[in-house]
Amino acid sequence: MSKIKKKRLGFVLDMTPLVDITFLLLTFFMFTAKFKSDAENQQKFEIKRPQTQSDTAKIPEKDLVMIKIAVDTVAKDTAFYLSMVAEQDIAELRSRMKEGGFPEVDEKSTVYKIKDTVWLGKAIFYCRDANRNAVFAIDADRRLKYRWVEQAMNELRKKKATTFNFVTEKKSGGL
Amino acid sequence: MAGGGELGGGQKQRRGKAGKRKAKKRLGFRLDMTPLVDITFLLLTFFMLTTSMITPQTMEMSVPPEIDTPIEVKQSELLTIRIRQDGLVFYNMGVDAPQRFVAPSRASNGSTDYKKTLAEIKKVVVDQNVALKNRCIVVLKADGEAPYGLVVQVLDELNAAESEIIDRLKREHGINERKRKFTVSPYVAKDAEELMGL
Repeated sequence: MSKIKKKRLGFVLDMTPLVDITFLLLTFFMFTAKFKSDAENQQKFEIKRPQTQSDTAKIPEKDLVMIKIAVDTVAKDTAFYLSMVAEQDIAELRSRMKEGGFPEVDEKSTVYKIKDTVWLGKAIFYCRDANRNAVFAIDADRRLKYRWVEQAMNELRKKKATTFNFVTEKKSGGL
Repeated sequence: MAGGGELGGGQKQRRGKAGKRKAKKRLGFRLDMTPLVDITFLLLTFFMLTTSMITPQTMEMSVPPEIDTPIEVKQSELLTIRIRQDGLVFYNMGVDAPQRFVAPSRASNGSTDYKKTLAEIKKVVVDQNVALKNRCIVVLKADGEAPYGLVVQVLDELNAAESEIIDRLKREHGINERKRKFTVSPYVAKDAEELMGL
């Protein structure tokens, strides 16, 4: 019990460079981090994007209208999920969807789950009405049947949105 | 600025006389950095784990607007690529009998590997475009049941073929222009009929 306490030998290590680098990395990650939007938070599905070779075009952030096509993991149904990105567009689209009589629209809705092409066409029209420069992007799961994408493409074409984007993923492991 | 040695009192008077001041030892100052470093590391790991560096890419598509008058093209200049519901890809020039591209192989992890099929598609598209000296029109038709991923991969291959076509047209025929690209058109019952049993 009466052990003699040994005095620990002083040991000093200069932590400054370590702390410097850590802070540098921390700031880097903090600034590059992009948090999930409300729309992404609500979704109950995961999209496995089709893989393509290096197609360097990045997704345009402004004026973007995202049409996601995926299978709901809970309800097990395939549907179109339409959402806009810019804050102002979201509000504009919401009021138009409400006027148009879209079911399931409330004060907070940002994503519209659409099951038929008639409503998809209408929603695309509202998007173009809300923002003249709207850019459409189709984000569909690669395992889906092409029919769904074809329907979306046809609706876009009918509403004279003849240029749009397919969201893809860069193929990993070279060619 | 003067090294903070102002507290010395008597030393002040001597300034500038000898020109060499006695370097005063700075007072030791120690702050426990451990909690700060802990929190920093915690945040760093959090941000590192939550950040996804892969940003989605896009592939731009342009479709022709709806027009009533169909554009007529020569059958002999038309290269049709069709994707059947089971994911097999066929091609034919004009009214020729459809030919099948290499069937995709099953990868060890159960997924389908289209690498060889896609490579062959690219080769055929490039060869035909070069042989027809810019007048070839590639039409892609995909069945509604075909996987969307495959359709995009074929489109990607057609896009990738462009640079090679331009290059070869220049080298072999001295053509510096590239006019015609490819289009996507609907897969109709007739297409399904033609590919049946192949």
